[in-house]
Amino acid sequence: MEEYHSGDEVSFSPDDASNVVKECIEGIVGGVDYSQNKVNQWTASIVEHTLTQLVKQGKPFKYIVNCAVMQKSGAGLHTANSCYWDTTTDGSCTVRWENRTMYCVVSVFAVAIAL
Amino acid sequence: MANQPLPLSQETLAQFNRSMATEPGASGPPKRRLGSISTRRSSKDQPHHRPLFLRGMTVPSSELSFLSANVSNSHVSMGKRFSFAGWHQGGRVSFSGLYLQQPIQEVYVENTCRTGPEPGCHFSATRTKQILQATLDSYLEGVCYSPDSCSQLCLMLADLVLSELKDVSPPRYKLVCQVVVGQSGKQGIRVASRSLMNLSTDNYTSVVFQNHSLFAVALVHGMYFE
Repeated sequence: MEEYHSGDEVSFSPDDASNVVKECIEGIVGGVDYSQNKVNQWTASIVEHTLTQLVKQGKPFKYIVNCAVMQKSGAGLHTANSCYWDTTTDGSCTVRWENRTMYCVVSVFAVAIAL
Repeated sequence: MANQPLPLSQETLAQFNRSMATEPGASGPPKRRLGSISTRRSSKDQPHHRPLFLRGMTVPSSELSFLSANVSNSHVSMGKRFSFAGWHQGGRVSFSGLYLQQPIQEVYVENTCRTGPEPGCHFSATRTKQILQATLDSYLEGVCYSPDSCSQLCLMLADLVLSELKDVSPPRYKLVCQVVVGQSGKQGIRVASRSLMNLSTDNYTSVVFQNHSLFAVALVHGMYFE
């Protein structure tokens, strides 16, 4: 039987999520240069792996994982998010990663579900 | 309860008692009847109660016990000394005859027992997309990218989009909105999103705006919450 949390409320832990995200990014684009051909595959892999790892934690959350990969060319990039939810149970975490040729910004949103 | 007999005069009662006492083999039940007759008086006959009580005192102790038992069974209130009447009504009656106040009960909201959104109250991806597109077009038309102001612009857009969607979104839906604003240059950018949600109740939408100097991507997810 799968383990599930009942009764006590579980809140989102941004630290755990950011560690998961960093490991996923490093594993997929760590040490490679930006490539127009491969960027689709990278973004898809990053979001998929991150989501899989988060789900493996077995917490009662719905997840949204967004990833933006941009080539480094001197242009500016801004991201912002606004959420309408229960601040006691839901949370988010954003990880910014860069290497020599690209920026990678991954946002994870966790929305609690009632059990 | 049986109909109450008419009140007997004292002489009749005394005569009856004498006849009962002299009867050979007088057993318990007749004595009980004696007691029951004497006590089935309406509460209107207050003046007679004292003589009745005095009469009871002259009777042997066994009869007195029957008398007191019958007093409790017959629901006759005889002033403060006989306030047993309230016990048998099953209510909360104090010895003074006043009802005790019920404690103030907390109000508990009942479960609505809803497991999903009502039909017609789902998160509408098409309507959200229209609102998003209209908002981005109206606010970013003719805006030039500036490193100083675009971070504030990005935040303001996210809040604005959320406030507009809150008005139109159905009840019990949580909203997550993300806006990405960047300078339009010769770089490539890819924005991807993946989510774990209940497809029957939840949905998302995304909109892109671009002009000569900047681009904006807005992502909105609507998640149903019981």
